[in-house]
Amino acid sequence: MTSNPIPDLVLLVRDPIFADALARHVRHAHDGAVVTFDGCVRNHSHGRATLYLEYEAYESMALEKMKEIAASLHTLYAIDSVAIAHRLGRLEIGETSVFIAVSAPHRKAAFEACRHAIDTLKKNVPIWKKEFFEDGAVWADGELPPVPAATPAAKPAS
Amino acid sequence: MQIQVLFFGKLREIFHASQASLELPAKSMVEDLFRTCAASHPEFAEFRSSVVASRNREFVAWNTVLEPGDEVAFLPPVSGG
Repeated sequence: MTSNPIPDLVLLVRDPIFADALARHVRHAHDGAVVTFDGCVRNHSHGRATLYLEYEAYESMALEKMKEIAASLHTLYAIDSVAIAHRLGRLEIGETSVFIAVSAPHRKAAFEACRHAIDTLKKNVPIWKKEFFEDGAVWADGELPPVPAATPAAKPAS
Repeated sequence: MQIQVLFFGKLREIFHASQASLELPAKSMVEDLFRTCAASHPEFAEFRSSVVASRNREFVAWNTVLEPGDEVAFLPPVSGG
């Protein structure tokens, strides 16, 4: 959509995420669909019972990358508005760690854009999760973000 | 020149710090900064193939030349979401 009446919202928060408020934020009279993704803390990881999680971020860069994701959704899909919130600090089982809401006139674009947003966030945004178990804690296996290829060394002038 | 280095996740635990200010020769590359960090914390050397670098909040290649005052981070695999 060229018209984007509602500004996108990108947040890092330390308190519980208000999912309903984010879903309402993106909703506009000419939208036919709001698709949301609610990422929540599960009670097990690799066969072990998880007690709780701690998230940390390179906050300034994470916000920039989340804004880039929101902007790219407008380029790639016929959507109206995007809200992305990620929580930091200690999270208990069942709490929301990430919430994404995308509105669009038609459902297909909203579904696809929401999927693209969470997939890209998990690959590209500098946020890390530490998993705490009965017998210790580990930094979760993650994905290495893609980086630009090395620039070739300048050729000497001939 | 002065470079600001940030550490996150496992690397923050290795360095016992979330940031450091390092003095490097002019025209140093990201790779040189990594070696400087690994010189003071040898276990960091093992992470060369399992981290990526950012300069001023953008992912960059290892041969990127640094400028005075740059903010550089070596980022472990990300696990948000």
